[in-house]
Amino acid sequence: MDDEVIEPDEVLEVGAFYQLLTAQLESAFGRRHAHWVRGEIAKVYEKGHVYVDLVDAGSASSDAKRPVLNAHCWATQWAPLKKKLAADGVTLSPGLIVNFYGYVDVYAPQGKIGFTITQIDVQGLLGDVARRRAELVARLTAEGLLEANKQIAVPAVPLRVGLVASPGTEGYNDFTGQLLHSGYGFQIILVKSAVQGDAAPAQILAALETLDQHGVDIICVVRGGGSKGDLACFDDERVARAIAASSTPVFTGIGHTGDESIADLVAHTRAITPTKLGEEIAAIVESWHARHVRLPAQRLLDATAEVLDEATVYAAERRRTMIFAVRDRLRAEQRHLASTRSGLLVHSRHLLTSSAQMLASHRALLSAYDPKRRLAQGWSVVTNRKGEVVKSIDDVAAGDAVSVLVSDGSFESTVNAKTGVAP
Amino acid sequence: MSTVGDWNDAAKELDAIVASFDEGEVSVDELFVKLERATAIIEALETRLDATKARVDELAPRLSKVLESE
Repeated sequence: MDDEVIEPDEVLEVGAFYQLLTAQLESAFGRRHAHWVRGEIAKVYEKGHVYVDLVDAGSASSDAKRPVLNAHCWATQWAPLKKKLAADGVTLSPGLIVNFYGYVDVYAPQGKIGFTITQIDVQGLLGDVARRRAELVARLTAEGLLEANKQIAVPAVPLRVGLVASPGTEGYNDFTGQLLHSGYGFQIILVKSAVQGDAAPAQILAALETLDQHGVDIICVVRGGGSKGDLACFDDERVARAIAASSTPVFTGIGHTGDESIADLVAHTRAITPTKLGEEIAAIVESWHARHVRLPAQRLLDATAEVLDEATVYAAERRRTMIFAVRDRLRAEQRHLASTRSGLLVHSRHLLTSSAQMLASHRALLSAYDPKRRLAQGWSVVTNRKGEVVKSIDDVAAGDAVSVLVSDGSFESTVNAKTGVAP
Repeated sequence: MSTVGDWNDAAKELDAIVASFDEGEVSVDELFVKLERATAIIEALETRLDATKARVDELAPRLSKVLESE
């Protein structure tokens, strides 16, 4: 068979051909005719410039015929774009649906037609990030993983603190400073980890697993404030699942007030900053110390003082009581004796007086019987020779000599006759 | 003079002596004996109290240190 030979009207050199092609493409898709292109990032590579392979969303990587747009963003344009994306917590990564604004360019040395990115639709990306985050939260919730770590009991005195952090960072210093200055003997077991960037999730995951097996009381994940992009690793599903799977309570202190990562949602306890987390852990120990050490010590001191005070008062009171009791008793006895003495005197005086009166009476009575009075009245007393008083005529006989006693003397007489008195 | 028992026993004996005074049961012959016994008990209690206070004073700063630790 003979081949048909077509004579070309004009034969172009390769370079000329690319010039023509470039001119044609630029007239429709060039810098002055930029387009928005939506696609899913299949590959991303950054080295000063950033290179992105964009494919139709949902297309299979096994499909060798799927269209691929080789997009790139030159360093001068990429730097501010990257900063803006990072501030909003967006990192270009495989699987991300993006809207690129740019134009077609042709790179003749490699025969490639590419797409130069000049803008990236951040709002669209943010919506996608939020959607993916919400989907992750929904999955974790459905699996019960948001509550899993919260079920683990925190030791009463969590002094062995596992720490996932980047040493020397502000967050690390803030957190450890709180523990070290608390006055309690915290033991910090650090497992270093990047806390931002692509490598961070895997390192955080490994650190969590290491500390979980180490047997610490709690694991703390801390990182100071940063952009949403800086903190994006804490929204990583692997990190969230590692926290949920940990058999040790995981505490987080990530970012600034207002930042809430998925790690925070899954964690046992979440503090709004590393500093606050350190304060809260120290407060747990402080609370235990106050309840189990200071309060009993205070009660002991108070009770001791109370017992001693009571005993002191008792001893002093008893001493006073004894002094007064003895004094009162002695005074009572003195009063009794004085009273008795006084009574005796009165009684004695009365007795003497009555005795004197009785004696006087007797004396008066006796005086009435005084023989002298009778002798003075003319009575006389006759006695016989024996000196016996003659009381009857029978006591004498005629001729007896008798002696007669009168008031002023006596005289001798003789009985001449006796005469009886009729009864 | 018999020895003084522990704090509670001694306090009971002392209270009984005071009560006997309050009730006027103490004769003059007994007075000195009871006063002497009460004095011995009070002095023994105060000696124990002073010794306990001294020991508490030694320990109190250590407990206070616990209270001051923050």
